[in-house]
Amino acid sequence: MELLNMSGIYKAFSGVSVLSGVELHVNVGEIHALLGENGAGKSTLMNILSGSYTADAGTVTFDGADITGSSIKQIEDAGIAFVHQELNLFNDLLAYENIFLGAEETTPWGSLKKRDMANKAAELFERLGVDIDPYALVDDLKPSEKQLLEISRALFRNAKLLILDEPTASLNTDEVEHMFQIVRGLRDKGTSFIFISHKMPEIFELCDTYTVLRNGKFIANGNISDTTPREVTNLLVGAALSDRDAYEPRELGEEMLRVEHFSGEGFTDVTFTARRGQIIGLTGLKGCGSSELMQGLFGIYHPSGGNVEVCGKKLHGGSIHEAMGAGIAMLPADRKENSVIPDMSLLENMYLSEHVLSARSFAINTKRENERFEKYGKLLNIKANSSADNINSLSGGNQQKVFLARWLNTDAQVLLLDNPTQGIDVGAKSEIYHLILDLARKGKTVIINTLEIPELREVADVCYVLYEGRVVKELAHDEINEQTVMLYSTNSAA
Amino acid sequence: MKDAAVNKKPAPAGLLNIVKTYSFVLVFLVIYIVYASVSGGFALGAAMNVFRHSAVIGVIAIGMGIVCLTGDIDLSVGSMLAFVAGFSVVVFNQTNSIPLTLLFAVLFGALCGLINGVLVGIVQMPSFIVTLATMLIYRSLSQYACQHIPAELIGNGSSVFRMSNALDSYRAFYAFGNGKVAGIMPIVGLIMVLMVVLFVYICTSTKFGKKIYAVGSNARAAHLAGINVSAMRTLVFVIAGALVGLGAFLWIAMNASADPATTGKSYEMYAIAAVVLGGIAMSGGKGRILGVLFGAMSYTVIDKIIIALKMDSLINDTIKGVILIVVILIQVAGPQLKARFGKSKVVK
Repeated sequence: MELLNMSGIYKAFSGVSVLSGVELHVNVGEIHALLGENGAGKSTLMNILSGSYTADAGTVTFDGADITGSSIKQIEDAGIAFVHQELNLFNDLLAYENIFLGAEETTPWGSLKKRDMANKAAELFERLGVDIDPYALVDDLKPSEKQLLEISRALFRNAKLLILDEPTASLNTDEVEHMFQIVRGLRDKGTSFIFISHKMPEIFELCDTYTVLRNGKFIANGNISDTTPREVTNLLVGAALSDRDAYEPRELGEEMLRVEHFSGEGFTDVTFTARRGQIIGLTGLKGCGSSELMQGLFGIYHPSGGNVEVCGKKLHGGSIHEAMGAGIAMLPADRKENSVIPDMSLLENMYLSEHVLSARSFAINTKRENERFEKYGKLLNIKANSSADNINSLSGGNQQKVFLARWLNTDAQVLLLDNPTQGIDVGAKSEIYHLILDLARKGKTVIINTLEIPELREVADVCYVLYEGRVVKELAHDEINEQTVMLYSTNSAA
Repeated sequence: MKDAAVNKKPAPAGLLNIVKTYSFVLVFLVIYIVYASVSGGFALGAAMNVFRHSAVIGVIAIGMGIVCLTGDIDLSVGSMLAFVAGFSVVVFNQTNSIPLTLLFAVLFGALCGLINGVLVGIVQMPSFIVTLATMLIYRSLSQYACQHIPAELIGNGSSVFRMSNALDSYRAFYAFGNGKVAGIMPIVGLIMVLMVVLFVYICTSTKFGKKIYAVGSNARAAHLAGINVSAMRTLVFVIAGALVGLGAFLWIAMNASADPATTGKSYEMYAIAAVVLGGIAMSGGKGRILGVLFGAMSYTVIDKIIIALKMDSLINDTIKGVILIVVILIQVAGPQLKARFGKSKVVK
């Protein structure tokens, strides 16, 4: 029996089409996997379902009723609950208080019936097989318990369909198994789930049916039992074509960076070497540890083991200053949080890092700094009126070039680029790729971390795929394609 | 895209921009004109006197200014002034040496600042709490010491640190505190102006100064750009402490004594008010040290207006408070009104 039917859904944001003609069908008592790469339109579709966005076109029927264009409240009342990746729980309240929040039971005088509510919460937990103390402070609960508490809360409000957005991201294997048991139990009693995950093994273990989206379009749906991980991966990435004309093999120089059995928070036993002029790609799913690995190399966190050598010189680790002195630079992900100094000019944003290394000469030679800015402005094609303009007056791509200049200005030889094209429009992206290739030709060693595989196909000489903090596969330039990378980054190759 | 549009400031006309940037000068001028009109016209002597009476709070406010530029706050400066001034009197009475007293005052102030700085910058405690605690500690220690050290060390005073006027250097020291350069400019005022010049230079034209702004603007990005944020946050407290030390030296030169109970009382609030009036953002990263000078002098002139009008001095803080609110109200409400005005125009 059909529970949810979304058909012909269209959505565009400021003229850019995000969803075009998407279908989603979920039956009563089934676990439905919603699959797609980052940016395929999954979140937008779920936000339309939960009422956060309104679709431009298309219809949504749920449980026999047309709920197209309903408000968040109406949709909640109809029985759809969204369990977000960032949990919507109140950490400073008790478990039962979270369940009853906004629906508290009171005496005629308005005081809370605390014991009644706690007892009902305990009953609910028992019925679901969840082991949570109703009086526990939510902040003290484990991530898995919080997840289950949120599911319990949804069910307490008679949800018929639960959307689980990457629910296993922060859980360990046992917790995942426990949660799956509960989810299966609920399914057998008639509750439906939409399950969003990138982890292929989980999907094939838990789900009954699936829908695949790609670039905002409906690609396929069917029964999980009729397909294989490899087939689904192919559907996910499609026969994506990419021009490789920018890439050409380069002569590589001497060894610049040697990483041996390097371990730290989020990554384990990583070993590789990088040579002068080489571009190395790191990739994997969100949370695979590649970003942490970069931060470890740059000395942001203390490593827990292993060796890093730059030009034959061993680093102690855990000091940004040491890494900078050795010639390592890092362009961090999330430009706005981690790179932009918002109250400062382009020039000031550029020269800061170099000044850390040359702090002994106290005064700033503005003329010389401006000459340098001009030099990098030309080299990187920074489009700005004046070096005195505020950094926020530039577009994302041009800001990123200023930060690239910040690090080139320190004369760094090893550039760590963490997701360098995040939030940059397509035209500027390809410009950044060309700059990266250009820098490598001039003898810089570049390590680039990105979740976007087309990006790696354009630039990387070699690519390391990470899964749960370990390098699971090394791919040469010609082997880099979305199918292969997906296969290894979801660990479905075995 | 949307954020960029929000952050992008519409380029105002050149003159308007200058007025906006240096609004603290405007505030000072308005207050000064009021003073001149109630005290019977402009007089050079009276104007120079403003420098003298701004000297101590001005020097302290510079330190507060750089602490605020990193996004922190130092509530302990008033107590620290009493603490350092008291012990500087003791050092002077023991050594009969002006240079040694100066050296002690600056180093002892820097040490007091270092305690704040280590707790804030390295231990990462909130500066509000740390300096609230040291504010209590420094004043209490000052008062306790005054009661419990031998009376000859504090010039035989009972509850006040008094410089012994029997010493050879006493006359020279007092002359330094109350003398004038070329018969016009008070020496202590000149020292404050020199400090302002020094710190304007540091904040606008040195690598160290730019790092202060970077830390206050976005500490995380500054850290990832290689700046040692902990060290910077510690250092600004040390500098602020050293400046309080200099202020304490000027104080005893001017007054020949320091009262642990009242010296520097509420100075932390006046210093913060001067910093805010001078256009430095309490959230850090924005503002000019030059503004601090005008902020501090504005408040000195308010004192003088009240004296000139023969008003009860107890009304003093009411007026200072009201002026602070009015100035900030104009700064905050101005753009809001403009935004609303602009919006309604679009609707039509």
